[in-house]
Amino acid sequence: MELGPLPQLLVSGVLAGFVFALIAMGLTLIFGVMDVVNFAHGEFLMIAMYLTLGFSLVGLQPVLALPFVALALFLFGAFVYRIFVRRLLEGPPEASIFGTFGLLVLLQGLAQFFFTSDVRSVNNAWFTGAVRLGPIRIGEPELVAALGALVVAIVLYVFIEYTETGRGMRATSEDRIAATLMGIDVQRMNALAWGIGSACVGAAGALLMLTYQVYPRVGAEFALTAFVVVALGGFGSIQGAFVGAILVGLVEVLGGFYISPAVKLIPVYLLYLIVVLLRPQGLLGRR
Amino acid sequence: MRSGLVILLVTCVAVAAFALIVQNPFLLDLTFAALLYAVLGQAWNWVSGYAGQVSFGHALFFGCGAYGAALANWHHFSPWLGIASGIVAAAAIALAVGFPCFALRGHYFSIATIAVAAIGEIYVKNADWLNGAVGIEFKLASAGLGSLQFTSKLPWVFLALAVFALVQLATIALENSRMGYYLRAIRANQDAAASVGVDARAWELRALIASAAATALAGSLYAQYTLVVEPESILALPISISIALVGVVGGLGQLWGPALGALTYAFLAKYVAAQLGGSGRGLDLVIYGGLICLIAALRPSGIAGYVRELFARRRLAG
Amino acid sequence: MSALLDVENLQKRFGSLRALDGFSLTAERGKLTGLIGPNGAGKTTAFACISGATKPTAGKIVFDGGEIEGKPYHRVARLGIARTYQVVQTFAEMTVLEAVTVGALMRHPRLSDARAKAADTIEFVGLGPKRDTLGKSLTIADKKRLEVARALATEPALLLLDEVMAGLTPAEAQAAVALLREILGRGITIVMVEHVMEVLMPIADHIVVLSAGKTIFSGTPHAAANDPAVLEAYLGPPIT
Repeated sequence: MELGPLPQLLVSGVLAGFVFALIAMGLTLIFGVMDVVNFAHGEFLMIAMYLTLGFSLVGLQPVLALPFVALALFLFGAFVYRIFVRRLLEGPPEASIFGTFGLLVLLQGLAQFFFTSDVRSVNNAWFTGAVRLGPIRIGEPELVAALGALVVAIVLYVFIEYTETGRGMRATSEDRIAATLMGIDVQRMNALAWGIGSACVGAAGALLMLTYQVYPRVGAEFALTAFVVVALGGFGSIQGAFVGAILVGLVEVLGGFYISPAVKLIPVYLLYLIVVLLRPQGLLGRR
Repeated sequence: MRSGLVILLVTCVAVAAFALIVQNPFLLDLTFAALLYAVLGQAWNWVSGYAGQVSFGHALFFGCGAYGAALANWHHFSPWLGIASGIVAAAAIALAVGFPCFALRGHYFSIATIAVAAIGEIYVKNADWLNGAVGIEFKLASAGLGSLQFTSKLPWVFLALAVFALVQLATIALENSRMGYYLRAIRANQDAAASVGVDARAWELRALIASAAATALAGSLYAQYTLVVEPESILALPISISIALVGVVGGLGQLWGPALGALTYAFLAKYVAAQLGGSGRGLDLVIYGGLICLIAALRPSGIAGYVRELFARRRLAG
Repeated sequence: MSALLDVENLQKRFGSLRALDGFSLTAERGKLTGLIGPNGAGKTTAFACISGATKPTAGKIVFDGGEIEGKPYHRVARLGIARTYQVVQTFAEMTVLEAVTVGALMRHPRLSDARAKAADTIEFVGLGPKRDTLGKSLTIADKKRLEVARALATEPALLLLDEVMAGLTPAEAQAAVALLREILGRGITIVMVEHVMEVLMPIADHIVVLSAGKTIFSGTPHAAANDPAVLEAYLGPPIT
């Protein structure tokens, strides 16, 4: 049987999935801990990408800038929680939908105001070639981005599963009241979830600058994909987000090749609708 | 109910007088935009305010109306036929999409609306019969109600005012009907509403169909006004967002919320931003986004809710 | 004439948890049937199944001669079963009159008729002075009254009351008992869940005891108080 471009597509799909996974894990972590969907998640990614761009202008390559960008986004996320999201939680349930949506509009507006709508990219000096593996050819930037995302995702997973703080977070996401009774500081857990969730897009943003360009509205497409991934894996499930992301990566790459690149996102969005309607708890979800 | 009608009458007279007195095309343009946004916000409010199902996909219905008008112009039909078919298409899509999606609540529903609208946008960008990503430019015709093209902005303001009055009247009727009570009950507690015989999905579906039809009507007016439709400026997510934000800023589920939201939008986002030289540079987004954040965090009942509280307090004091 | 409600061997499983495992109950027309049982016996789940809020896994529910198990919640309400909730479910942002009007609209689609019906019902339950108060601003006792009024406004044949007496002061409880008698006087059949047996003894015509999802007793209040199985379910095995 002639496989044609299939192996190449599968590898590309999985690699794309690793980066989606990192973005989606941040989103699902925040959701899991406090039942808030951060509609501005894509805009946090956009900020991370601009930051990476800024670092590259002073000579720091994206891969080296990654820890700094992730740290900056951690602080930013925790800050946004402390001064803003905390108040939304006290309001009616719609407040957190609108509040984070307002944040989306505000951050996009600020980016447009300061950086204009121009599309910008990093002058990537380190990874320019391609790796060959039999019939499969992978661009070095894609490979580095995917492996980097995989490493960060594993670090996050280990943190959530095996550290005291991570266990506290999981307890909070399972039952907030019980967690409070167990002496877990829920406010601290919430702030931490926003910090870590934002640090995930920080790392993802740095890695994405190897292969993508940044502009004020870049976040929307990634955020929407992340919603799909999170729904697919089950809102709140870290492992689910990882599996869902690879699925979405494959669907996007295969759809783009076999149907048309212009409509590659249609199967992804259809996937969301089908999953939430038929299996609202997601593929690996617990509720 | 009577106070609502009186305020509506006064508002319409005031807007009409304002439009007749000012000659400034920029102000007339702003008035038209504010009225259109008030219509869009109110239509959105029926589903997302009264019934509490937050839609971020109303650009799809807006696009139905806009493309209905554009197609009619392209194929030399009457614009009124285009408007009617746009409304029918929007209602049909609302029925087809709403039926499955009203099984969802909260963010599941909101994200579903984004996904559906995004699918629609991608489809239109690739559909030859809608001229794809390029969009459709209207052929000019002699001015008049038959062609729905005018040489001055004044008729547009009056047309939008008429539609606004219609939508406000519909909302007053809604508030004083079984449907209005049911939608509010569904928003407050769907389970308890079902326990007294309210079929949430059926009522939400009716609200969505009405909302889609009104949104499509506004969409076709907008297209006839600008004489061009492009997927990017008609169907993209930012359009859905601005429709929703008008409703939120004004106050969810309140008769005068969307109108106040639209006024705020027109004044803050367009006028102030233009005065500061920031239009097209995102300053309108900054102002508006900031406002939404403040309202969500401090006053979830919006401007209309705040005004009502003020009046209630004054009544208590006096 | 046959009983108004006849529940036979109802089963309800949530995953591996058996919330109901052989629940049976018969409610005679115009009578008050008390449903009691220890915490976690499945009383609230039983109500959820009868009212249509959840679908039973197996078993039969016959209401007024027709099988209703598995029918949608709102349709069961239209057939004439109304309920209140153990944890009150008010329409927080609606006034008392508006909330009860939502109930009255079921039989009176015209708003003016429904409002008139609602106003009457509010007077009947004694909430008259609070008709323009928002649901969220009421005391717990008044919220429970509001739920009763909302349910009554649908003009039900069967009223399911879930712990309406819990947490009331003695005076409030006495008023509630008087209200129950008046409801019965209107010919409405009542099935009432209570955690505390004493509350039901003086007013119930018939008692059903539920333990671990199973009906273990059905008979008069007097017999219930002397039934060894009932006592064991409540107090644990007898000390010998």
